[in-house]
Amino acid sequence: MVKAGDRFVEHFEIAPELHSGFIALFGDRHPLHTDLDYAKSLGFESVVVHGNVLCGFLFYFVGECFPEPDVVILSQNVKFPQPVYLNDRLRLDVEVLDVHDSVNVVEIECKFSNAAGKLVASARMNIGMIGGRRSPAT
Amino acid sequence: MAPVMSAGARESRGNRPLSDILAALNQIFADVVDETDIVLKRETTARDVDDWDSLNHIQFIVAIEKYFKIRFTRAEIASWKDVGAMCDAIAGKIGA
Repeated sequence: MVKAGDRFVEHFEIAPELHSGFIALFGDRHPLHTDLDYAKSLGFESVVVHGNVLCGFLFYFVGECFPEPDVVILSQNVKFPQPVYLNDRLRLDVEVLDVHDSVNVVEIECKFSNAAGKLVASARMNIGMIGGRRSPAT
Repeated sequence: MAPVMSAGARESRGNRPLSDILAALNQIFADVVDETDIVLKRETTARDVDDWDSLNHIQFIVAIEKYFKIRFTRAEIASWKDVGAMCDAIAGKIGA
């Protein structure tokens, strides 16, 4: 049973096929994401990975790593303070901020940092546990 | 977005009249459903508001608990028949 203060860590890598797959699925071919010269002209090191790729990692964490069954994401608020590039290795730190037992909702804070330790994205999410919270014995 | 309250109302959070609580609930609910035209009255029930479904109800309770820094029990929530009952429950917890 999660409680306020619980922390979790996951690691991800921005593989090129993730980037190309996202473009193939959603069709966002904005030059910031596909044109190296354009991205560099704006001061970026390389083409910038779509921020919502990181949202995909958040969904993965909630669905596959979060230690509560039957979860549903009720809301999320994501910020992207720094760019993410192809082949970046990211660390995701998650902390449980609050638990609302009355309605089985957990509020978590998620922070992605790159290999240099720089914060590249952060999110607040409310997660509903539609099956109730896992008991301490399970 | 945090509910917009007058400076006076914000300062008297621990001892505010029921009308201030209702105004705060109105703003909180409007934020939850992203609808600025919502007008909650004491006699309003979930059936009276199109957007007040079960998921928004959960978000509403979470937002209320965070804003007023209080916690409800499931029994308390289940006992509410209308917005007025919610206001009374909040008032009881914050000492209004």
